[in-house]
Amino acid sequence: MLGIAGKWLISASFVTALISVVFYFFASQRDDDKYFRIGNWFFGLKFVTLIAASVILIYLIFTHQFQYYYVFNYTSLDLQAKYLFSAFYGGQEGSFMLWILFSGLFGFGLMRWTRKPYQGPVLFFLAITQVFLLSMILGWDLGAAKIGASPFRTLAAEMPDAPIFRGNPGFVPSDGSGLNDLLKSPWMMIHPPILFVGFSMMTLPFCFALAALWKQKYNEWVGPALPWTLSSNVALLTAIFLGGYWAYVTLSFGGFWAWDPVENASLVPWLIGTAGIHTMIIQRKSSIAQKSSILFAILAYMAVVYETFLTRSGILADASVHSFVDLGLYNQLLIFMLFISGVGLGMFFWRYKELPNPEKESKILSREFMTFTGAVLLLVLGIVIILGTSSPIIGKLYTANPTPPEISFYNEWSMPIAIIMAVFTVLGQYLFWKKYDAESLASALINPLLITSALTLVSIIWGNVRDIYYMIYLFAGFFAIVGNTFVMVRLLKQKPKLIGGSLTHIGFGMLLVGVLASSVYNSPLLDENTSNYNAAVERGEVKDEMGFTVKQKQNSFLLNLDQPKVINGDYVVTYEGYSTEDQNRPGQQTYRLKFEPVNGGNTFYMNPELYPMLTSSNAQATQWSVDPDVKSGLLSDIYLYVAGSAYVEQRNKMQERRNQSVMQNVAARDTSEVPSEQTITFTRGQTVEVGSFKIKFVNYAATDTTELPPNTTIGVKAELELIHPASGDLVTIEPLFAVFSEEGQSYIYSPPAFVPQYDLEFQFTKINPEQNSIDITITGLEEEYQEEWVLIVAEKKPFISVVWGGTFLLMIGFSISIFRHWGRERLKS
Amino acid sequence: MKPKLIIGILAIIGFTSLLMYNFGESISTYTTFDEAETMNSAHIPGVWDQSQEYGFSMETKQFTFYMKDEAGNSRKVIYPKPKPNNFEQADRLVVIGELQGDIFYANEMLMKCPSKYNNADPAEFTKASES
Repeated sequence: MLGIAGKWLISASFVTALISVVFYFFASQRDDDKYFRIGNWFFGLKFVTLIAASVILIYLIFTHQFQYYYVFNYTSLDLQAKYLFSAFYGGQEGSFMLWILFSGLFGFGLMRWTRKPYQGPVLFFLAITQVFLLSMILGWDLGAAKIGASPFRTLAAEMPDAPIFRGNPGFVPSDGSGLNDLLKSPWMMIHPPILFVGFSMMTLPFCFALAALWKQKYNEWVGPALPWTLSSNVALLTAIFLGGYWAYVTLSFGGFWAWDPVENASLVPWLIGTAGIHTMIIQRKSSIAQKSSILFAILAYMAVVYETFLTRSGILADASVHSFVDLGLYNQLLIFMLFISGVGLGMFFWRYKELPNPEKESKILSREFMTFTGAVLLLVLGIVIILGTSSPIIGKLYTANPTPPEISFYNEWSMPIAIIMAVFTVLGQYLFWKKYDAESLASALINPLLITSALTLVSIIWGNVRDIYYMIYLFAGFFAIVGNTFVMVRLLKQKPKLIGGSLTHIGFGMLLVGVLASSVYNSPLLDENTSNYNAAVERGEVKDEMGFTVKQKQNSFLLNLDQPKVINGDYVVTYEGYSTEDQNRPGQQTYRLKFEPVNGGNTFYMNPELYPMLTSSNAQATQWSVDPDVKSGLLSDIYLYVAGSAYVEQRNKMQERRNQSVMQNVAARDTSEVPSEQTITFTRGQTVEVGSFKIKFVNYAATDTTELPPNTTIGVKAELELIHPASGDLVTIEPLFAVFSEEGQSYIYSPPAFVPQYDLEFQFTKINPEQNSIDITITGLEEEYQEEWVLIVAEKKPFISVVWGGTFLLMIGFSISIFRHWGRERLKS
Repeated sequence: MKPKLIIGILAIIGFTSLLMYNFGESISTYTTFDEAETMNSAHIPGVWDQSQEYGFSMETKQFTFYMKDEAGNSRKVIYPKPKPNNFEQADRLVVIGELQGDIFYANEMLMKCPSKYNNADPAEFTKASES
């Protein structure tokens, strides 16, 4: 019932959005306030109906109505409330809803703050994008075509051919399949909403640019559009940062950026949006660059839509680990993209001749030229990344079955572009605040250049940089930091409100230096044997059994329990065991590794985790996931994860054994696989070491008559303690031993006591009165005693802190600019 | 035409052709073991061949398994890292590396897993077991 209501509400939302488009059109065409107000009412109605639909979806999720596909597919009974909430936007359909809600919200902002003549057209274009986005979640079946995938469709509708629904159409699963464990992270709760804030804000400069073209007012639109673009930029940057940080601290791919198409999907709009910011600032200051500002605003939103198309149409299914699968939206997304590009570029070229031209060409040494060049470089970088990300489509020009480009493609192109950009930030910032000619600029730059050279030299020597290309890159990065700092210091003395730009450019320089240091100079942490082996591999001295030269190095080291190893000559690392109690996730182990710096310094611990992925494990196999631990330092981070451990191997073997015993019930049992039995004789108080356990016979314990068979002559329990030193676990077991008589015969009754977490079975089999000892038979112990070990993959990553620092400066700088431009806009109105 | 415009057009053409050339060089095509013999870095899609032994060796710190490519050939693959967590679950693998003799040395391995984003398997309506 609720599902049908939800679907109707979305349809109503779609229809009202469509009506608002019509009214906004007339409002813009005739400059009529009446139409505009009616349009606003329908726009508001659209928002209210969508809010209602969202509330229904959230209600369905929280009440676990698993007959709905969306609820079934993204949630389960055991999910915590916060993740139930984030499941609302965890899937494709819900994330579209969130996106529309945000851009609807900003629509109200536009109604309130946009002046004439842009008012009508801006909302007209915004409403059009809303119509398109709403069509993605309609779920209308028009016979010839299906429009959208409804978040309210039922499981039965989603898979009508499933046997279970053929037999029982009313079937409701008892539990859902759950949210992917990797997404159960606080970072993932806030990352998507911020990303969609960024995407929806990026719509607004697009709307303003088109409104300017429509109304032939090419100058004033920049005033209100600039703060929106800056805000979108900060939101996207924050989202990118959160995504990168999440990847770094919870995924094991070892870094914060991997040029994955889905990561690129948020980077490209950011780059082009930032290009737009540059030209908008120029336009505002000098009343030139109208053409490029309009074009960049159109391109930035086209990038948002194009990247949405790439990640949601299923095109990238093979190229990216986290792109969505096609929900049947391919054609719709394609139409959306073609429409946005067609209308945007179409209107641009329609008015092209009319767009103002600068009266004279700007000189090379002018702020206009420098800033414009910066914008073009940002665009070029965006184009390079778009090209790489589009490899499944554009790669078809070269080969039938294209792979994604190698990472080096991105790096090789972005590096030189970044170098030029870094240099231009300094020249641009100098020229932005003061007029220089070549000579005076050169003399103003002497001090920054001296400091830059010194810094570069020091880092080349200290970091042992050999590559000339990296030297140039470092120089450019430091130049951006130092040069812009000079500008900032000067501004701080005069007008501190204006430092946004220079702060941003310092952040950019820091980002460049940090990225190089952390990605090129990260080094694996290894023990001596492994490093020697790798050195031999590098020299080409290692051959495999087949006689081929081994080229692959080892990147992990093994630690046995309580046996310290020297790692990299820097640390003595000791594996002190693990614990399985009081964990966030069921079945999680937290490992304890002690690091003692060789050259003094404080001892510290690292606690990487391993946990079973409940949503993707099944009875046949457990999927283990690693949660790395990062020890952050000012100069370098230690990043490490457990790639394997004795515990995990044991669990896997246990599972295999269980599966085999299940499988073999019918067929002849394979006796060789029967778990071993071991009988141990204890005296009271004695502790015996068996395999990786210690077992202590503490005492006899009294029994309860209800546990005993009738006619019992002896009934006693042994109180045993099973100690697992690696995890520090202590389990008390009380197996029973009883002798009873029946029809004159004596029988022994000794039911086995189970220890489920280790799959062991304890049976009290005998009492030896002469020795005052007892026999305990244990089933399930590993025959070959395995030592407790962990396999560690660790890396030292220098200056990641500089990457984060640079990102924060970018965010702060952009935010300062938002307040400045926003404040000025408010004064005008 | 103004000389500036000509220079601009030439620069754009030069840049575009260099970019497209470089792009073409950096992508390759998904291929098979047989065709990989002549390649330095081959991307080979396939499925895990479960009929053969597989596992991680503590001694060599390598993960070894057999993979069947799309032509149906099964080859031994050596991957110099621990076994990826979701290896057994993957319904498709892509190994990236070099073939030497009969052995494929994978430097990278991608796993296509039946994930949240795919359609749920109707046969698995029970809760994933806790382990």
